[in-house]
Amino acid sequence: MIVKRRGKLEIIADILRSIQNKEGKIKPTHLLYKSNLSHAKLMEYVDILLEKGMIEERLVKGKKMFFMKDQGHKFLLEFERIKEFSDSFGL
Amino acid sequence: MVFESVPYGPRSYVFSPKWFYGFDSIIEFIAVIVSILLVYYSYRCFRLTKENKYLYFSTAFLSITLAFIAKIIGTLAIYKPVITRTALGSTIHQTFTSLTPYSINAIALIIHFFFMLLGFMILFLIISKLSWKNQRVIVLLVYFVFLATWISVIHYQLFYVTSFVILLLVTYSYYQNYMEIKSEKARFVLIAFGILLVSQAFFVFVIYSKTIYVLAELIQLLGFIYLLIPFILIFKKKPKRVK
Repeated sequence: MIVKRRGKLEIIADILRSIQNKEGKIKPTHLLYKSNLSHAKLMEYVDILLEKGMIEERLVKGKKMFFMKDQGHKFLLEFERIKEFSDSFGL
Repeated sequence: MVFESVPYGPRSYVFSPKWFYGFDSIIEFIAVIVSILLVYYSYRCFRLTKENKYLYFSTAFLSITLAFIAKIIGTLAIYKPVITRTALGSTIHQTFTSLTPYSINAIALIIHFFFMLLGFMILFLIISKLSWKNQRVIVLLVYFVFLATWISVIHYQLFYVTSFVILLLVTYSYYQNYMEIKSEKARFVLIAFGILLVSQAFFVFVIYSKTIYVLAELIQLLGFIYLLIPFILIFKKKPKRVK
């Protein structure tokens, strides 16, 4: 079976989906496990998401956690619409 | 009814029964709206993802939009010749004195043939996953579009037969896509193209009966409505909010 490499947007969507599936907040270790990326690569993407305001970093009981923001929800919805459009019209 | 404005030159065709005059233009206007929605959204997808497949899809439907606009103008020139007496119409008429409603209709139909075939061909190229690496194949197919348009000017049926053949291939690709994706929206796209395919088959025989033209137009309308359904379903999707 040929495994297609994920594009940049797909990786971002996968990261956001992982956070969304965990009720909108996730620990960095869980995110690393769910995103299927190396630590360095994940941090690169986390920086992008923080910069674009899609997620935010907060301390909960002294532990770092990532929270999904409205911008992240909007991106994920738009990405899923594009994917459905692409699949439905055979693109 | 076939009107020949220039011997062996472009012909003017009106297949509609008199009572249906204008209704076909409304149907084509609905097709224009659906096509514009697809052009707009696929171009937006291209802007967001920078993936060329969306740009090509947008171009295909832009071509189909132009084709329908040309047909609307061409038929309205015959249905409502009073348009030529409006300020804009009379200015055009004074500039191009040889333009009669029939010659406008004939020219508009050539534009309709060309852009419709080009749109369907681009659609076929995208869903066949042909890339620019297959340049020679693409050039050859575009040449066939020119050739088919040229011959269609004399034998209009060739246009509908060619559209039918391209749409048959497009529909088959959408059938394969549906078998792979198995989604409700992919099924609607398959049904839409299947219906448009049937409408093209009806259009081939419009010369024999005006009723066939009415049926073909109504089937075409149904096809475009079905094409709109998956689009609406995609946009009905609500954002998932976390408390």
